[in-house]
Amino acid sequence: MSDALATVEQTALRSGPIAAGAGRRILRSPFLLVGLVGVTVIAAAAAFAPLIAPDDPTAQNLANILAPPIWVEGGTTDHLLGTDVLGRDVASRILYGARNSLFVAFSAMLLGSSLGLITGLLAGFFGGRVDSILMRLGDVQLAFPFILLAIAILGVVAARPAWLLIVVLGIPGWIVYARVVRSRVLAEKEKDYVAAAAAMGAGPWRRLFRYVFPSVWQVVPVIALLDVGFLIIMESTLSFLGLGLPPPAATWGGILADGRRNMVVSQWLPILPGLAIVVTVLSINLVGDGLAAVFDSRHIHRGLRRPFSSSVPSASPVDTDSEALLSVRGLHVEFPLPGATVKAVRGVDFDLAAGETLGVVGESGSGKSVTASAVIGLLDPPGRITNGAVLFGGEDLARFSDRRMTTLRGRQIAMIFQNPAVSLNPVLTIGFQLREAIRHVTGADRHTVRHTARQVLVAVGIEDPDRISRQYPFQLSGGMNQRVMIAMVLAARPRLLLADEPTTALDTTTQAQILNRLVELTEAEQISLVLITHDIALVSEYADRMLVLYAGEVCEFGPVRQVISQPRHPYTRALLESVPRVEDPAERLQVIPGELPDPRRDRVGCPFADRCPHVMDICREVTPPRYDIAPGHIAACYLWASEPAEAVAT
Amino acid sequence: MTAPLLEVRHLSKEFPLRGLRFGRHRGGTVRAVDDVSFDLYPGETLGLVGESGSGKSTLGRTVLRLFEPTSGEIVFDGEPVTADNAAGLRRRAQIVFQDPYASLPPRMRVRRILADPLLIHEIVSPSQVEERVASLLRDVGLSEEHARAFPHQLSGGQRQRVSIARALAVEPSLVVADEAVSALDVSVQAQILNLMKDLQAGRGLAYLFISHDLGVVRYMSRRIAVMFLGRIVEVGPAAEITSGPLHPYTSTLLAAVPKVGPQRTVTRLDSDHPAPARVDIGCSYRTRCPMAQEVCETDRPELVEWAPGRRSACHFALDVPQRLQASLPVPGSAG
Amino acid sequence: MRGRVLLIRLGQMVLVVLAVVTIAFFVLRLATGDPARLVNPPGTPEEIITQTRERIGTDKPVAIQYVDYLWNAAQGDLGTSFRGAQSVANAVFGALPNTLSLAGITIVISATLAVALGALAAWRPGSILDRGVLVWVALAQATPAFWLAVLLVLIFSLNLRWFPAIDMAGWRSFVLPVTTLVVTLSPILIRTSRQSFIETLREDYIKAARARGLPSWRVFAVHGVKAASLPLVTLIGLQLGFLLAGAVVVEAIFNWPGIGKLILDSLASRDFPMIQGGILVAAVVFVVLNFVVDMLYAVLDPRVGAARA
Repeated sequence: MSDALATVEQTALRSGPIAAGAGRRILRSPFLLVGLVGVTVIAAAAAFAPLIAPDDPTAQNLANILAPPIWVEGGTTDHLLGTDVLGRDVASRILYGARNSLFVAFSAMLLGSSLGLITGLLAGFFGGRVDSILMRLGDVQLAFPFILLAIAILGVVAARPAWLLIVVLGIPGWIVYARVVRSRVLAEKEKDYVAAAAAMGAGPWRRLFRYVFPSVWQVVPVIALLDVGFLIIMESTLSFLGLGLPPPAATWGGILADGRRNMVVSQWLPILPGLAIVVTVLSINLVGDGLAAVFDSRHIHRGLRRPFSSSVPSASPVDTDSEALLSVRGLHVEFPLPGATVKAVRGVDFDLAAGETLGVVGESGSGKSVTASAVIGLLDPPGRITNGAVLFGGEDLARFSDRRMTTLRGRQIAMIFQNPAVSLNPVLTIGFQLREAIRHVTGADRHTVRHTARQVLVAVGIEDPDRISRQYPFQLSGGMNQRVMIAMVLAARPRLLLADEPTTALDTTTQAQILNRLVELTEAEQISLVLITHDIALVSEYADRMLVLYAGEVCEFGPVRQVISQPRHPYTRALLESVPRVEDPAERLQVIPGELPDPRRDRVGCPFADRCPHVMDICREVTPPRYDIAPGHIAACYLWASEPAEAVAT
Repeated sequence: MTAPLLEVRHLSKEFPLRGLRFGRHRGGTVRAVDDVSFDLYPGETLGLVGESGSGKSTLGRTVLRLFEPTSGEIVFDGEPVTADNAAGLRRRAQIVFQDPYASLPPRMRVRRILADPLLIHEIVSPSQVEERVASLLRDVGLSEEHARAFPHQLSGGQRQRVSIARALAVEPSLVVADEAVSALDVSVQAQILNLMKDLQAGRGLAYLFISHDLGVVRYMSRRIAVMFLGRIVEVGPAAEITSGPLHPYTSTLLAAVPKVGPQRTVTRLDSDHPAPARVDIGCSYRTRCPMAQEVCETDRPELVEWAPGRRSACHFALDVPQRLQASLPVPGSAG
Repeated sequence: MRGRVLLIRLGQMVLVVLAVVTIAFFVLRLATGDPARLVNPPGTPEEIITQTRERIGTDKPVAIQYVDYLWNAAQGDLGTSFRGAQSVANAVFGALPNTLSLAGITIVISATLAVALGALAAWRPGSILDRGVLVWVALAQATPAFWLAVLLVLIFSLNLRWFPAIDMAGWRSFVLPVTTLVVTLSPILIRTSRQSFIETLREDYIKAARARGLPSWRVFAVHGVKAASLPLVTLIGLQLGFLLAGAVVVEAIFNWPGIGKLILDSLASRDFPMIQGGILVAAVVFVVLNFVVDMLYAVLDPRVGAARA
């Protein structure tokens, strides 16, 4: 998941604990409500069967067998759903059948889930031999055709009391719970907070029950619910085969079996109990799914959306600097999420000349990554450009359809991302992905493609291209993977390359190698490079011009040497002074107090106002225009407003 | 000269390997920490810097016995720390982790997160817990209202403050900071670093400050130890190491750090060099070292004191400054 | 390294089969008492009972019977049926292909449906198609196989007379049983597939692939499908037990001459060797299929196989 969206989501999550929203979310989901209603009704019917059943379910009346239900000719109100082959009231039998099914299924679930929960917790947390044995046992069991054994046992025993059914149905289920719980425990166990608890002196049992368990148990109720549904079907199947609760007990499966034997005469008899099963299991499943959605925090703020977004914003006036390769004007990007709309980019402008390197600096929430994604048309859904223009080669990319953008991507505009390990498909080889990219862009034949692939890998500093091509991404280091990404991109010689934090995930020495190589290659091929980073020193090293963003707005823009030696915006200055530098160590770092503004709220005035040491009244009221500091150097700060007339039109 | 708070002697930590990569495997294990020795004095910050695979994080955790050392000894406050008395260490040494989102239990309120250590070690009586929690929160720059919050309701910086508060709850004399600010935004990072410095001054804490970021380590530390492939390759006062390193790796690291200044300083062009096939003989840096000679293949350099307070594991330590020209731009010339 | 893993797996498989057979053997013996008595009608004179015992071999101690059984089974002799003198092995191996054909066709159709519907649903989540698929899946998952089979017979055999209700004869007779099985097996596959596709499409490497200019359809088909289908393979392995249960039911209803029906019939007549033999062979097939699934997954997912690289 992209960092931009992750940051957005973290912000959204902070607005309230998960549990607090649960009540509201339950009410908002129609399926869940329907399910709850269904389950309640059925459970009540089962519980109160003795009170509401019209007849004794075992009372036979051979004078009135196979009577039809009331809606068929010949049906009476005495027996709303008719009678079976022994004259017993079908409605009563179905009610009692509910009782029996629910009882057996629920008990079996309790048995399986308790066993599974305990073993899963212990195996996952303590590991070692206990874990190995339990998991071997589990593997063996999963390979077991349990149903056959169950059938065999139930088929040959003299009596089939309820507890036997419960045991036979319930015990095999432990492995499902155990596996899921165990994997949750394993995942949580690795997290730092458990290690911190250990460092704090918390013993193993305390760590397991006070720290790990609270984050783990949520999987169980959902599985348990779905399990009950499954068990109801299993119990009914066994009853159908004559292997369930012995007669005269009323079971849905049994009624259905009777019905089948007399199907020619009474077509409704086999249908009704089946309907009961479907309605019951469906209700339970709806509740189970609904709960799963409620518990799963990922769904809370995402909602459903198309994997590939496409948007065409409203028209806006555009004034361009026709010399530039890329001109962004008044770019606004929003993410309409279920909770609130996040306005990630609020009016960003900049120009980029051919062959130039632009450094875009900002922290999380600055909108730097989102801006780049908007330029290339790859905003994470549900992101949309709501205003502004992205002018490239005389045309406004923001108005392009996705199909048109696809023709530009890879060929004219390319992008590399932060974490190379997740930017490459893990189940395809490096060579496959590289050749695919080259073939797509050049359209050449197989041999040329292979040759180009080899060449381009060498160009990025990979000495053994053939061996590397056969590897999968997870087998290579981060630095290697990033070189491969660069190779893929450069094969096409795009005019514009967007590099979103390309080296943040890499070691310092690797970073230096990669960036040197990247800049060398882009300079050689006259490719314009947009280098997005949080590290202002990188910009100082590699960029020609720099753009400083804060909370989605432009603070400062100008030639790197100029901005670095004479930063004009307080934020730029604060950035320079608050980062410890090994080449210029400070006695005490300047601190920027406060925090980023909420990206969901509209704002008035300068976004940095609350944290600025030079804040004035007007800063909080009116968004500062961009002032000319020097040719090509602008700063959006009232400190530089000597004359209102000097303000650059925004 | 005061006695060291922490003495580490020949500490090693091996992990068994499932599924081999390349590199330093020895019969199916990886030596994450390889024969490390150092001292840490009360109230000082020793910076531990290295890249991925250097073993710095593992060292930090092994020193606290969160991992069982494979060999070597740890002496804390004059007493050897063994498997049996490791529990006693928990009150005197604590750790702050990197990831503010994973280092706090997601379903516990801050109040309980901070109360737990107080209760486990019976530092205050149950009736005083609330007050102590409030006081801890104030010490790290948070307010009492934050006690009621769940971790996901706090920002990254706020969570890291809670982690620090949790570490301080037991009143330790040593705090291991394992990339404690690496996951924070730049503007928040400075806040936390200054907070840590203030807490150190106020409580006489010693820090083992682990980070890959040389700038941050330089700012925080009085002395720095540089790690490479599980071993310490250089130790010395922070200012001296960063202005005149005595190990080729330190020099490379310094050269590779991007710097704010009038021109591009990062110019060296290398491709990835593989780690040497055998790391138990010879110098582990030899395949990447521009100064490597025959003796580097056969003799493993030990950490030797080449100048007062300056130790380096290189046969040619004193040649490093001239040969590698790792000098930094003079402070103040950056416009 | 690879050989050792294989050997361990084989050992595990043998262990499972052994466990199944042993449990079945002893449970069957213990649950019912004297088979000689059960096979003969009540009131039979003692000498006949003793003769029966000798005939069917239950006069020896149970432990010896067990060992004998295993020894014979390893050589392919699964004993003789209590009813008539039919060779169990013949009966079982005769019935096996019928069950396998049902199961095989079901798996193929279900997997194809799952990939297709899952992909379609994930392409446009929230659309009519997606909602339709989800509704269908919810209903299908709540439908018991035996009821559906009966319904289908009711509608298509008795009323419409399109397909036969019983027995196995010609391709038409496959339609109703396979439909039943597909409807009950596919829901969970479709849901998992849909979820897997949705998650795969959110991955960063999909975005990166599009950044290289690859058209959406190709990204979806080549990059998406492979990664998204992997969990399906594992899931099919986990669902084999469920499929077998369904097959048993379907065979009972449609009078399909497979292993399930064989075992069910033998239960009624207490024909222990047949029950035993059926379970043993079913267990072996089951275990082998699981193994195949695991190996298939290891082949498809390079991250698993390459741990040894």
